Amino acid sequence: MITKARYLLPSAWLRPITLLGMLASLQACTTTTIDEFRQGATGISSEDSVVILGRRQGAAYETREQFVECVGERMARGDNAINVIPEQQFVDAMFPWFEPRTAPLRSEDLQQLMAQPMVTDIMSGFGVRYIVWLDGQTETSNRMGSISCAVGPGGGGCFGFGSWEDDSSFEARVWDVSSATAVGTISADATGQSYMPAVFVPIPLIARVEANACSSLADQLKQFVQGD
Amino acid sequence: MSNCTVSVNHAVPAAVQAQRGRSAKPVISLRQLQQLLVSLMVLLTLASCAARTINVEGSYPRPNIPAIPLVLGVYYGEGLTDFMYTELSDRGEEEYLVASGDTHQELFNTVLPAMFERVVVLDSLEAAAAQGVDAVFIPRINEFQLGMPQKTRLDSYEVWVRYNMRLTGTDGSYIADWVMTAYGKATASSFSTAERGINDAAVAALRDLASNFSLGFTAVPDVNDWLQRRSSQ
Repeated sequence: MITKARYLLPSAWLRPITLLGMLASLQACTTTTIDEFRQGATGISSEDSVVILGRRQGAAYETREQFVECVGERMARGDNAINVIPEQQFVDAMFPWFEPRTAPLRSEDLQQLMAQPMVTDIMSGFGVRYIVWLDGQTETSNRMGSISCAVGPGGGGCFGFGSWEDDSSFEARVWDVSSATAVGTISADATGQSYMPAVFVPIPLIARVEANACSSLADQLKQFVQGD
Repeated sequence: MSNCTVSVNHAVPAAVQAQRGRSAKPVISLRQLQQLLVSLMVLLTLASCAARTINVEGSYPRPNIPAIPLVLGVYYGEGLTDFMYTELSDRGEEEYLVASGDTHQELFNTVLPAMFERVVVLDSLEAAAAQGVDAVFIPRINEFQLGMPQKTRLDSYEVWVRYNMRLTGTDGSYIADWVMTAYGKATASSFSTAERGINDAAVAALRDLASNFSLGFTAVPDVNDWLQRRSSQ
């Protein structure tokens, strides 16, 4: 004799569980603003490459490698994908010219750097047409509320509410390697409020601020270097 | 040294003794099992108290700069090869021992051959004349500082190193003596260890040294004067 065990949730539980599932699938809103300032004409061929580098000269903060990677990956996929050279590969190949203390800060410095035959050779080898300098960070502020969790013999749970605001501010300066000049600047500012209500289980409603700044900036950069 | 103390209680409960009587031929007796577990606990406790040694490991790219037409002897002496930094905890106990002698040699063995026509690693300073080198380079660490996130309240590990660089003639005569500093930091991650953070910060500092040394060597006033004197001869 075969007995089938059926484990059904009481119907009274279904509503709260569905509600929790819906809440978990929600994301908090993010506002992103993109500004573009063009200083020169741009265009890129299929043989040309772009290298995206993070600024790390400042003592207070440094542009995160993950953000640089995110922008690069986004530019290198989809329609009209662009050849993007990985940051570490480029910096190692160009050593010691693009280290935090030795990297060119202005496009005039790039002109001096391009006077070095070894530098020009490596740039040509990579087929670098544009250097994009990313500078910025994400800051968290206005943390409010509190969540407390407790565990006892009969089970455990969390109660409370927390919220915080994330603010991403990044700037991308584009240098044309062929003319050693600055051709434009794109800035991306994204803000978003994240919430964490907790009724037995914490439900994170996270604003994907940095991810939105990355995707918006990458899309705009892609258009910018293509000269659209 | 650490000041950990571990007290061990070997008392055997009566229930365990009664159980022992009933067992026919146990593979391992309860007393042996108890002793084994206690020994393991003692070992684990002692291991957690001991200072952790970090042998800094990293790879360094070869600089892309024009080589100086010199045959350089390099001597890795005391103060570099055996340099060990000790980071103390808030209680004054040894927490981390950072050994960077090997990685410094690896760094200079990568950087110097790109900077000079030929490089000879010297076993002793006396061997310089016999090797036919133009000058002898002697790097030395003067000071090493480590910034830990829990102490600095920053979200990164930081390493700051001060070096004394010396360039002498084959007879030990003075050519140049200068100080260089290097700084590196590595972001502290929730999913990484302190050892990894310290190692990455140290490697970043060494890379900083390599870039400044390779680009700034000829700009050191006494080195520059010596090079000019040589070229005018």
